[in-house]
Amino acid sequence: MMELIVFVISAAIVLGGALGVILFRNPVHAALSLIASFFGVAVLFVSQEAHFLALVQVVVYGGAIVVLFLFVIMLLGVDREEDITEEPFEGQRVSALVSGVLIFAMLMAGIFLSGRTGDDAGDFGPAAISGSSGQVVPLTEEQDVVQLGHDLFTRNILAFEATGLLLTIATVGAVVLVRNRGAEDLVVDEPGTSSR
Amino acid sequence: MAQYLPLAALLVLAALFAFLSFVGSALLAPRRSTEQKSAPYECGIIPGREPPQRFPVRFYLVAMLFIVFDIEIVFLYPWAMVHGDVGLFGLIAVLIFSAMVFESFVYLISKGALDWGPLQINQRQSEMVDASRTATSTIRKVGLEGRYEHAPAKTAAASASDELDETASAA
Amino acid sequence: MGHPFLRDGVDFGDVILVLVIVVISFVLCLVATMLMVWFERKVVSRLQNRIGPNIAGPFGLFQTLADGIKLFFKEDLIPERADRKVFQLAPYLSLIPAFLMFTLVPIAGDFSNVSESGTAGTSTIAGREFLWQGADIPVGILFFLAMSSLGIYGIMLAGWSSGSKYPLLGSVRASAQAISYEAALGLSIAAVILVSGALSTNEIVQSQSGSLRQLNIVATGFVPFIVFLIAGTAELNRPPFDLVEAEQEIVGGYHTEYSSIRFALFFLAEFMNTVTMGGLIVTLFLGGPAPLFDLPLIDVMPTLGWFAGFLLFFGKLLIFLFIFVWFRATLPRLRYDQLMDLGWKALIPVSLLWLLILGGIRIAQNGDLGIVENTNANVAIVLVASLALGAVGWLLLRAAMDNAREERLEEAGFQLIAVPPQQLDGHADSSTSGASH
Repeated sequence: MMELIVFVISAAIVLGGALGVILFRNPVHAALSLIASFFGVAVLFVSQEAHFLALVQVVVYGGAIVVLFLFVIMLLGVDREEDITEEPFEGQRVSALVSGVLIFAMLMAGIFLSGRTGDDAGDFGPAAISGSSGQVVPLTEEQDVVQLGHDLFTRNILAFEATGLLLTIATVGAVVLVRNRGAEDLVVDEPGTSSR
Repeated sequence: MAQYLPLAALLVLAALFAFLSFVGSALLAPRRSTEQKSAPYECGIIPGREPPQRFPVRFYLVAMLFIVFDIEIVFLYPWAMVHGDVGLFGLIAVLIFSAMVFESFVYLISKGALDWGPLQINQRQSEMVDASRTATSTIRKVGLEGRYEHAPAKTAAASASDELDETASAA
Repeated sequence: MGHPFLRDGVDFGDVILVLVIVVISFVLCLVATMLMVWFERKVVSRLQNRIGPNIAGPFGLFQTLADGIKLFFKEDLIPERADRKVFQLAPYLSLIPAFLMFTLVPIAGDFSNVSESGTAGTSTIAGREFLWQGADIPVGILFFLAMSSLGIYGIMLAGWSSGSKYPLLGSVRASAQAISYEAALGLSIAAVILVSGALSTNEIVQSQSGSLRQLNIVATGFVPFIVFLIAGTAELNRPPFDLVEAEQEIVGGYHTEYSSIRFALFFLAEFMNTVTMGGLIVTLFLGGPAPLFDLPLIDVMPTLGWFAGFLLFFGKLLIFLFIFVWFRATLPRLRYDQLMDLGWKALIPVSLLWLLILGGIRIAQNGDLGIVENTNANVAIVLVASLALGAVGWLLLRAAMDNAREERLEEAGFQLIAVPPQQLDGHADSSTSGASH
C-alpha cells in the first residue's frame, strides 16, 4: 500500500517534470522541471531499495548535469523565451516525431518480446525491465552499494574502464566545441556590444 | 524505505514554514511599490547597460570538469566500500580509471580552462616605457563607454593589453 | 540500520515518534541557527574590539529573533524585470535542503563501548528504540552531497531570476565556486568511507568510538580533514571564500534584489548550513557524540549516556563554529582566480592522490597486495609507488599549466623568445618572476 502511494506520487512528479521540460517555453523553467523529474526518479529508486543509485541520480543528474545545462543556457544567452514557430533546421519536427515513435517502439519491443535466454538472464537485460521472468533478484543482506561495488570490480570491470574513456572523449569534445567559437566569444559584457 | 519518512515529513514542514513566512510577510508588510523601487538595483544610478547576456565559456568547461570528477567520485564510493574484497585487482582498476580522469583534467588545464583573470606579465617589452601606452590602457581599463563617440585608434601595445584584460570584467 | 523501530512495519506509535523527532529537529535547527547568528556576531565583535549585540535579551541573545521579526514588517519587493515564478521559488530551494541536511548529524547518544554493549547510540522511549538524529538513511553521507548540490540551485536561480546585473554575476560565481569545491568535498568524504567502511552517519560515528587512533581525523591521516575543512568553508560561501556576496564588487551578490522575509530565508539557510557543516566535520572526522577516550561521565550517568554524547558533540561542534567565525574575522577574501586555483589545482589532485594512497596502504596491510611476503615491505612499496605517482602527476600538472600560459601569451600577441643574457641586466628579477608564475 505504502509502496503504491509512493509510486503514484513519484510517477506523477516524473511525468509532470518531463512534460514541463517539453512544454515550458523558457529554457530555465524547462531545466527546473528536469530536476523535478530526476528527483522523482530518485524516489522511485529509493522505493526499490536502491539507495545508492537514488542519491547518485540526484548528485550526478540533478546536480552536475543540470548545472551544466543551466550554464550552457546562460552561456549562450538563450535564457529568455524562445520563438518556436521557426524550425532551427529543416525537417526537425518530422524527424523528432519519427525517432520518438521508433524509440517508443523499441522500448515496447524490449518489454514485450524479451524472453530469458540463459540461466541467470533474469537479473539483466530486457527481461528484468518487464519483470517477465516473474522473478526479482532477491535482496541480500548487503547494502546495494556493496553489491554494486562487487559487481563493478569483477564482472563489469571493462564497462567501468570504458566509462573512464568515455569521460575523456567527452572532455575533448567539450574543448573542441569551445575552441571553435573563437577568441571574441570569450569576452563578455564588452563595452558597446550589449544592446540598449 | 521507511527510514526516509522523517525526511519527507521535514520536507513538508520546511516548505510549510517558508510558505507561512511569506504569508505572514504579505499580511504584515506594507506594499507601496514604486517604479524606482522595482527597478534593478544599481547603487542609485539609472541603469545604463543591460545585464550581461552571455558568460565566459570557461564556466562551461568548469561544469564539464565537474561532471567528470563527479562521476569519478560516484565510482570511488563503491570501491571505498569494497576495497578490502577486491584487493589489488580493484586498486589497479581504480588507478587506471583515475589516470584517465586525471588525463582529462590535465588536458583541460593545458587548454586554459582554469585560467581566470588577466595574464600576469612582469616582463618589460622595451627599455623605455611609452607614456601614451600607459595613459590609453589606463583609460581603457576604466571604460570609455559613453565618453567618446568613436574610441581613439588603439596603439598596437594598447590592443595587446586589452586582450589581456579580456576576462577581468567577467571574473 | 535506520531508525531501529522502523525495521518492520509502521504502526501508529511509530508515526507519532517520527512526528515528534521531526518537530524537534525542526525546532532545534531554527534555534541552533538563531544562536549561531548571535555567536558569530558576538565573536566577530569581540575579535574586532567591539561589544556586539547586547540589548535584546541577556547578552543580546534575542537579537536574531528581533531582526527576524523586524523583517516581517519590511516591504517585500519583486523587481519588475524579475522572473516572478523562479524568483519566488528560489528561497524554497535554498531553505529545504538546509533543513534536510541537518537531519544527518547525530547530535547525541551513547557511543561508548559500541563493540561490547552494542547500543550504538540508540535510546529507548516507551519501548521504542530511536537514534538522536533526524533520520538515519543507509547512504547518509551521500545524501549530504545530494542536498548540497541541490542547494546550489537556490542561489543560482535567485541570481538569474532577479533580472539584474549584480545578482546574476553573484549567482554565476556562486555556482562555479560550489561545483569546484564539491569535488574536493566528495573526495575527502571518500577517504572517510574507505576507513570507516560505512556510508550512514551513525555507522561512521560507531566506527570511530574507542580510542584516539580510531578517530577518522587520525585514521585518514589529517589531509582529508584539512581538505574537507577548506572545501566546506568554500561550499558555505563563508569568508575567505565569500566572493558570492562580495559587497565591494557586486553589492549583495545573488540576494541583492531580495528583501523582507525572502532575504531572511536565504540568510537562515546560510547559517543553518554553517551549523550543519560544523556538525558534519565533527561527525566525519572527530567521532561526533562518541567519546575520544574512556569517559568517566558515562559511568557516572549510565541512564543519561545520551546526554554525555550530546555534551561531547556540542563541545566539538563549538570548536568548528568558532573556527568558521575566526576565519571570517581574520582572513581577507580570495581573488576569483586564486579561489579556482586552490580548488582545482591544489585540493582536488591532493585529495585524489591521498585517497589512492590510503586505499593502497590498507590493501597492503590486509595482505592482499602480495608483491612480497612481508606486510611492512608491501606498505613501503605502496608508499614509494605513491611518491612516484605523485611526482608524475605534479609534473604533468605543471606542464599543463605552463602550456596554458604559453597559449594565452601567444594569443595575446606576445612571443616567448629566449632573451640573450646580456640584455637581461637590470630586469632579471621581473622576467624570472613572470616566467615562474
